[in-house]
Amino acid sequence: MASTILKRATSSSMKSRVESLLIGASRRSYASVAVGTDIVSAAPDVSLQKARSWDEGVSSNFSTTPVKDIFKGRKVVIFGLPGAYTGVCSQQHVPSYKKSIDKFKAKGIDSVICVAVNDPYVMNAWADKLKAKDAIEFYGDFDGSFHKSLELGKDLSAALLGPRSERWSAYVVDGKVKALNVEKAPSDFRVSGAEVILEQI
Amino acid sequence: MAPIAVGDVLPDGTLSCFDAEDKLQQVSVHSLAAGKKVIIFGVPGAFTPTCSLKHVPGYIEKAAELKSKGVDEIICISVNDPFVMKAWAKTYPENKDVKFLADGSANYTHALGLELDLSEKGLGTRSRRFALLVEDLKVKAANVESGGEFTVSSADDILKAL
Repeated sequence: MASTILKRATSSSMKSRVESLLIGASRRSYASVAVGTDIVSAAPDVSLQKARSWDEGVSSNFSTTPVKDIFKGRKVVIFGLPGAYTGVCSQQHVPSYKKSIDKFKAKGIDSVICVAVNDPYVMNAWADKLKAKDAIEFYGDFDGSFHKSLELGKDLSAALLGPRSERWSAYVVDGKVKALNVEKAPSDFRVSGAEVILEQI
Repeated sequence: MAPIAVGDVLPDGTLSCFDAEDKLQQVSVHSLAAGKKVIIFGVPGAFTPTCSLKHVPGYIEKAAELKSKGVDEIICISVNDPFVMKAWAKTYPENKDVKFLADGSANYTHALGLELDLSEKGLGTRSRRFALLVEDLKVKAANVESGGEFTVSSADDILKAL
């Protein structure tokens, strides 16, 4: 435990919850993600599920992708949104990244990733509907653990969605957050689009 | 909660859906079922194969026959949010009778005692596959699959109970 506390104190994520480390016996540390955060350290045991059809799930034994495989040694632009098939997500957020994919590739980005608290089968059907699977990699954070680790979870029960996430985007190089944009409200679409993050790369 | 069984009173609960004007609505189960003959069938997940390719189509095909036997409502429920249920329902443009209702928080599925943990398949808490025949809130038939099968909960199976 002591070494974890030292790591938290030296990381530039000053909003980390030291109290939870002192009280809890859990190894999971929740740290509010910020520029400089190491995503892999913030979410060490977390995996995401690549959007897939059920058959693909069966043949891969329902395999999951650990966060470190997604981010380590790669330049990634990742954006998270409240829910597949919902308004802003479908009509503005995903299209914004889909139409700028060439610009991202030109800047050396290895993957543009869309993540939401949905199961990977819904993500897959939605990605097909938006015809966005060639450009963007879709992942499901079905139990919200990825977003919870980064303190980007949000309760959207009032919108009948249950626990979901903020609307956000980040530019991450070798696991370190270089740029982070989080909307004030999940229904906003002001800072988390492709144009904003392209300027930050 | 023990799984719902023949002779039980159907519990009340709230499900959600988008109405004909595309507005989000919360619906009370009792308001749909009181004084009526209804079929409620549950599926583990929208956009998954057995649910999409066999279970739902069976009820859409047999809807007319079920209605001719006095069934007032045919309701499909799943632990999915109403946006996903709406999108899934749209993949069945020929459907006129089956209502797709969302039990996003799994509260109603829990009230029926029919929840199932499918976390290792990336689905989380879902519903068992089942079909209920309910007359004026009394359960007349409760066909619940024990695992991933599809042997007792189809439209053909529930037709036998009518």
